[in-house]
Parts: sequence; structure tokens; C-alpha cells
Amino acid sequence: MTNKTLTLTAGVSPAGVEDQVMPVRGRVVKSKWSRDLLTFLMVFGPGLIVMVADNDAGAVSTYSQAGAQYGTHLLWIVLLLLPVCYFIQEMVVRLGIATGKGHAAMIYQRFGKWWGLFSLVDLQLVNFLTLVTEFAAINLALSKMGVDPRYGVPLAAAGLVMLVLTGSYRRWERIVVFLCLLDFAWFWIAFRLGPPLGQIVKHAVFPSMPAGGITPDLMFLVIAIVGTTIAPWQLFFQQSCIADKRLRFADLKWARLDTFLGACVTVTAAVCMMVAGAASLTHGFHFTDPAQMAADIGAFAGPAMRDLILLMMINAAVLGTTAISLSSAWAYGEVRGWPHSLQLPWREARGFYSLYLICVAAAAGIVLIPRAPLQLIILGVQVLAGVILPSAIIFLQLLLNDKELLGEYANKPWNNWVNWTIIAVLFILSLILAAQVTAPNLFPSAVGGPTT
Amino acid sequence: MGTIASPMDLETRNETRKDHFVVVHPLDDVQETKVDTEALGPMPMTRTVRLSLLSLRAYLILMVLMVVYHVVMLAR
Repeated sequence: MTNKTLTLTAGVSPAGVEDQVMPVRGRVVKSKWSRDLLTFLMVFGPGLIVMVADNDAGAVSTYSQAGAQYGTHLLWIVLLLLPVCYFIQEMVVRLGIATGKGHAAMIYQRFGKWWGLFSLVDLQLVNFLTLVTEFAAINLALSKMGVDPRYGVPLAAAGLVMLVLTGSYRRWERIVVFLCLLDFAWFWIAFRLGPPLGQIVKHAVFPSMPAGGITPDLMFLVIAIVGTTIAPWQLFFQQSCIADKRLRFADLKWARLDTFLGACVTVTAAVCMMVAGAASLTHGFHFTDPAQMAADIGAFAGPAMRDLILLMMINAAVLGTTAISLSSAWAYGEVRGWPHSLQLPWREARGFYSLYLICVAAAAGIVLIPRAPLQLIILGVQVLAGVILPSAIIFLQLLLNDKELLGEYANKPWNNWVNWTIIAVLFILSLILAAQVTAPNLFPSAVGGPTT
Repeated sequence: MGTIASPMDLETRNETRKDHFVVVHPLDDVQETKVDTEALGPMPMTRTVRLSLLSLRAYLILMVLMVVYHVVMLAR
């Protein structure tokens, strides 16, 4: 492929960077195949980031717990979530490309301030609590690695702030995509620790129930898996990311491919986390938290494996933190009309960057408070995210049926059938979760069920 | 170095030659005209949709309060 760069000048007016003139640079390639590959690589990013960042600290904890308690029996649920993840985020891609605006701005403009305010408050509340859990995981992993969290946590927070302060969307995206690609280490972990491939495929493809049947604990874990795989912040994050990157109508098919590949990577990584948990079960360890699980695995697989799992836990928390904090800052910036682009330097988007900084610093600070009720916060986050998710998706579904807004990009009838089915299932699960957490005695200790 | 007004022109011209293509990063490209969402105003909603959204909001407030109550009880 022989490339050259052409530079010419044109006026542009991206969100918050009006009145600037930027050079337009195009790369010249000689074949259609090279053109398609290069276009994909240029569009690639938001889909992978949103999906991999979804495998955050809470997800590592949930998937490894599922493996540590039920072996590989729940793999099929994770696989079932692949199309769900894709269909929901694909709607966000269409909305982002068609409007060039973030999700919070869309809700404000199309549903009015009252609904917009509720959505924003819901998002900020769940996001902040989730951030606390990310830093709690960093704290836990650093402690297990022998690093004093009093230094490690502020250092991680400072790194996360520096990451966005480069004044370049591309620089931020490249660093974060690199961190996302580190997630492939989970494949190696699973390969080293995992059961035979045949067993993994069998439990991933053919639904089965663990010995003991359907119990409240199993239900809770299944709902937690669903809740951790699809989160409200993802809708806001990917749409704002697409708007900030200024994806064009012609980029839609590549953005869809990016999202699909992201969904495949995140689901496969989730399977690997479950397989790692299953390895600790095979060796007779009782699951308490993922950091302890890493230490248990280290007892039979060596300290290098223990440290690798702990590092991957920190990487998951870092990815989750940057994506969630950005979704909060983008959403607030859109609603307040502040300049809100990673392309802007600090001095031109002080409100946007300050909110990001406040989110990160406050969450890190809470984690360092001695005897902070972190376990309660984690529990609250899981339930709140589960409760809020169906409502967030309903707004998305209504926006995607807004033909005045989207025209040919609006949902087709088959999209609606798929999406309303997903919403109905999520609603039922959120009701069960809320009922189970708020009134645990409502459910019998065991419902019984088939075993394999 | 070209003196072309926009990369769109460049691509059109290259498409006719079929021997090379220009790929422009979205951030380097001229910004596309998108739907003018502000001019559209609020979405027209039927009474059923409005009532459904209100019920959803009431459900959410109730659930959040229940969760907060439960967490506070657990903290004691």
C-alpha cells in the first residue's frame, strides 16, 4: 500500500471549537481494499472502547464470581448477551452519527428539560457510585500487590486526569485503545488456567444449570451478569464519543463493525474471566473478591499469574473510570451548553474537564476514607444500575423511532421487535433484582431446577 | 499538495480515475451538516406515551427510595 498525505485547508465547526480553521489531511491509497481498511481503522475506537470499558472492575468481580461459584455453567448467558449488547449500542451509533450530538443533549432537546433533568440525575448518581467501585478495585488490587493504596490510588487518579488533558481526541483514543487491547491478556490467562476447550464450548453453546438448580443466589448473579454487561453510561458514552470524533454518515457501516467487534471482544473476555474463576473453584478455593481470587490462583499457577490478574483488574478499573467519568462530563457539558470536546485544551473547556476531574478525585478520595462502606456502595450500584437501565433504553428506543429526527436512520419494524423484547426482559430482571435486594425474605431459599 | 476546496471534491475526482482513493480521518474532514435538532423542538408525544413515561418515572423514584432505605438499614 503506497500512501501519501495531502494537506489542504477548509473551515470546520465541531462542537465547541467553532471559528477555527483546520487543515484537512487525506491519505491516498491505491486499492479499494486499502481504502476500506484505512477507513475502518480511522473510524475504529468508540465501539471497542465502550464495550471493553464495560468489562470494568465490577464486571471482573461478577464474572469471576460466577465462575468461582458455578464453574463454566453460566457461560451461555454471557454468549446470549452478545447480540443484546450489539443491538443496543448499534442504535446509539445511528443516533450519534445522524445528529452529531450526545445522548443527554438529545433527551433534553426532544423530551424537554424535565425528562432531561431526570435522566441526567440518574446517570450522574449511578456513574459516581460506579466510579467509587472502580477505585475500590484499584485499592484492593494494589494492596494485594504490596503497593500502599495511599500512594497508588492518587497516582492512578492523576494518571486518569492526565489522560484526557492532552487536548487531542486522537491521543486519548489511541492510549485507551491500547489499554483495551491489553484485555487480550485474559485470553492467555484462560488458556493457561482453563478447563478443556470442549467443556467451555459445551457450556457456552448449550444452556445448562449448575447443580442445585435455580436458587436466589444464582438469580442474583444472573441479573448481576446482565446488569454489568449492559450499563446506562454506555449509551451516553458512545454517542458523545461519536459526536466528539465527528463520525460521518459514510462511516456508519464501519462504526457498526467497530461496535460488533467490540461486543465480541468484551464477551470473549468475560468468558475468560469466568473461566479463571472456574479454575479457582476446581482447586477448592472459596470466592470472596477478585483480588483474593488472584492470590488463590497464584498459589497453584505462580506469582506471575497472580500479578497478571491483579494488573488486569487495575486495567479494567482504569478503563471503566475514564469512560464513565467522560460520559458524566460529556452529558453535563451538553446539557449546560459548555464546550465539551477532548479536542479542546483545558483553558477552552474548563467546565467539562473540571467535572471529569471532580468525579475522579471525589471517587478516589472516598475509597481512601478508612472504614468507608464500600461493600454497601457496590451493592447499591448493582441494584441502581439494574433499575435505571430499562428506563434509559426506553428513551433510546423512543428517539430511534423519531422519524422527524432520524429519517431513514430510524428503527425498522424488526429493530423494534428485537429492542422491545430486550426491554421487556431487562424490566423483568430489574424488578426481580430490586425485589430480591429490598425484600430478601420474599424469595424461598431454593426454587429447585434441572441440573446437568 | 492540492488546492481543492474540500476532500469531497478530491474523492469525487479520484473515484472517476479509479486508480487511487483518498481516505480522510473524521477529525480532519469538513464537518457534515447534521439534523438541526434545535429547530425540531420537543418530540410530539401522545397521551399514552406521556402517561407511560410518568409511570416509569414514578416506578424509578419508588425503586431508588427502596434501594436507599435498604442500604441505610444494612449500614446500621
